[in-house]
Amino acid sequence: MKVTTEQYRRVAAREMADEYTKSFLRLLPARLAERRKTAFTDFSDPAAARAAGAAIRAGALENLPQLLATFEKNAKAAGARVFWARDAAAANRYIVDTARENGISGVTKGKSMITEELGLNEALAENGIRAWETDLGEFITQLLACPPFHIVGPALNIPVARISEIFLEKGLISRPEHDPVQLGLAARRFLREKFRHLEMGITGVNLAVADSGTLINVENEGNIRLSKSRPRIQVAVMSLEKVVADMPDAMHLIRLLCRSCTGQQVSAYVSMDTGPRKDDEIDGPEQLHIVILDNGRTRIYEDPVTRQALRCIRCGACLNACPVYGQIGGYPYGWAYSGPMGQVLSPLLLGFARTRDLFSACTLCGKCRDVCPVGIDHPGLMLYYRNRDAVGDPDFRGTGAPRPEKAVYGAYAIIAGHPLLWRVFGAMARRAINCYARGNTIGKGPGVLKGWFALRDLPAPPSRSFRDQWKRRHPAPHAARPASGRKQP
Amino acid sequence: MKPVSLFIPCIVDQWVPRVGMATADLLRHIGCSPFYRPEQTCCGQVLYNSGHVREARKLARRFIRIFENDAAIVSPSASCVHMVRRHYPVLFEGAPVWRRRAESLADRVFELCEFLVDHMAAADVGARFSGRAAYHESCSHRYGLNISDQPGRLLAAVEGLEIVDMEGADICCGFGGRFSVDYPDISGAMAADKAANFVASGADVLVLCEPGCLLNIGGYVSRNYPEKKVVHMAPFLVENLT
Repeated sequence: MKVTTEQYRRVAAREMADEYTKSFLRLLPARLAERRKTAFTDFSDPAAARAAGAAIRAGALENLPQLLATFEKNAKAAGARVFWARDAAAANRYIVDTARENGISGVTKGKSMITEELGLNEALAENGIRAWETDLGEFITQLLACPPFHIVGPALNIPVARISEIFLEKGLISRPEHDPVQLGLAARRFLREKFRHLEMGITGVNLAVADSGTLINVENEGNIRLSKSRPRIQVAVMSLEKVVADMPDAMHLIRLLCRSCTGQQVSAYVSMDTGPRKDDEIDGPEQLHIVILDNGRTRIYEDPVTRQALRCIRCGACLNACPVYGQIGGYPYGWAYSGPMGQVLSPLLLGFARTRDLFSACTLCGKCRDVCPVGIDHPGLMLYYRNRDAVGDPDFRGTGAPRPEKAVYGAYAIIAGHPLLWRVFGAMARRAINCYARGNTIGKGPGVLKGWFALRDLPAPPSRSFRDQWKRRHPAPHAARPASGRKQP
Repeated sequence: MKPVSLFIPCIVDQWVPRVGMATADLLRHIGCSPFYRPEQTCCGQVLYNSGHVREARKLARRFIRIFENDAAIVSPSASCVHMVRRHYPVLFEGAPVWRRRAESLADRVFELCEFLVDHMAAADVGARFSGRAAYHESCSHRYGLNISDQPGRLLAAVEGLEIVDMEGADICCGFGGRFSVDYPDISGAMAADKAANFVASGADVLVLCEPGCLLNIGGYVSRNYPEKKVVHMAPFLVENLT
């Protein structure tokens, strides 16, 4: 899919002006967050359950190279073919070649963020291969050619009337239909035909289990199950951090994933497949191709600070918790990944030069960290990115803070380093801004403050700062200050 | 009389000094002896949050030198305390001596409500207010320092005060320091939601404990609901002492 991370501000402004998006955002994230909260209450100790999730993911990343080697060995022993893709181009080429060698002109896809990251649909289309998204939400966004609004529900925000329109246009229904159940049924009928003649299915992977070579997918619609079991050829695409040591680890992560994602104890379908169809089995693919994607993740892994970004299990809880996402929705983030998890991942995968807004447009409120089931410190990472960007770290394609900004912050540090300067500059700034005051209130201001004053006032600052007022009240500071000497409170 | 060193946030020093004065009055009222080190300026949070770590480290060293001999340091802001308690040790990861000094200081820096309730057992400061109040939980309190009960206990002890629930009390108001200047429309929309929830709660006054939120929510309310009041906990308690 097209990367539009540079257009964050423009798209955010557009979305905030959209009444429908606004009313939708007022309801949905809060409701999902509530469901999540309720679902966690059936853990005897929800905090411990999350801590265990964090430990499993951190442990898996510590042993990532070994776990991947074990996974590859076991997956191959079970009959799967494993392809290591250095980048998106390599992965797409492998998948296109596999389709071509087998004479395939159409594939179905299960919802997967990773194939959005690859731009796989576009790559297949360029090679004359038709890809059908089979997750209902993903199917709708595909027909509408719009990006996903939410990583869990890509078309959650699309009004029923708009879905009816596009279904009518594409011939799925013959007259306008405003019953969501009927629309779902129409999509189901349409997609069943695709499955019936399916030769090749492409899915993502939620978890890869090293010690058995098993691939696990979590879903609610059954379309992934069909994409995995129906066709002759199955391609599973996973980013390399998806691997965990064993089934007990995987089971705990599924408990956390389903609760964090949709507030379910477990999703309607959890499929676990090890290798292609065996001789004594009645279904499953003849060929199973596992594409393990790096696409810059080795670099993310090697930096001890950014490594934790790879813990993400794509539950979407951080989106529902984020107050900024709650205002702007998923489109401004400009790629497959939105909300805090996108603000943390996209800059690492795309470089800072084109993703600066993602890690700048954050109040550092920490609600995402509070709900994350695997212990990612999103605000901490964004602070790290801001620093790497300000110093122009080439590893992150940071460009360095612009010269005027550097000058301002440099001057601030010098002024704050000297109480006298601080006092003088403070008084000057207060006097300057007070030119705009009317009574006790300032309602407009110059330059960078224009945006603030478009919607808000500021109280007029007093002529005397705290330090000046204190000094007047306590004329002999040495008398009011005890001698140095450490005492514990 | 327990000596308490005042750590006055920049916003308070420059913009709302009465919050600082009220902090000192409140501490004095419960039997502490507050004092102010006039060499203090800024803890460096502004620089740190913008990625200017080298400059922030300079101010952190300065701050440590000024405060490190004080037994208890109290600030009417959780975000400033968060900077010193959580970020200072990280700033000196590669410098063991400074790191030790930062860690030692971190244990002695307290947010005002936390200090009153947890360390001075002074949840009831003896205030009276007849009216209804809602409480805005700042992110630095709730999600930064895990200070959630203490402000509630201070309010619950105010005689005659009816505390009303406010929808989304723990949702960010949209200040975020530079965020409010760089993304004023997103920030303003967040402040608008907060103010609307406040008004819908039916409270006469919105109490909060963070100077940044005070400017942001207060500024929005002053423009759009001038009859409503937004106040910081310290002046709210001090002005209503019996």
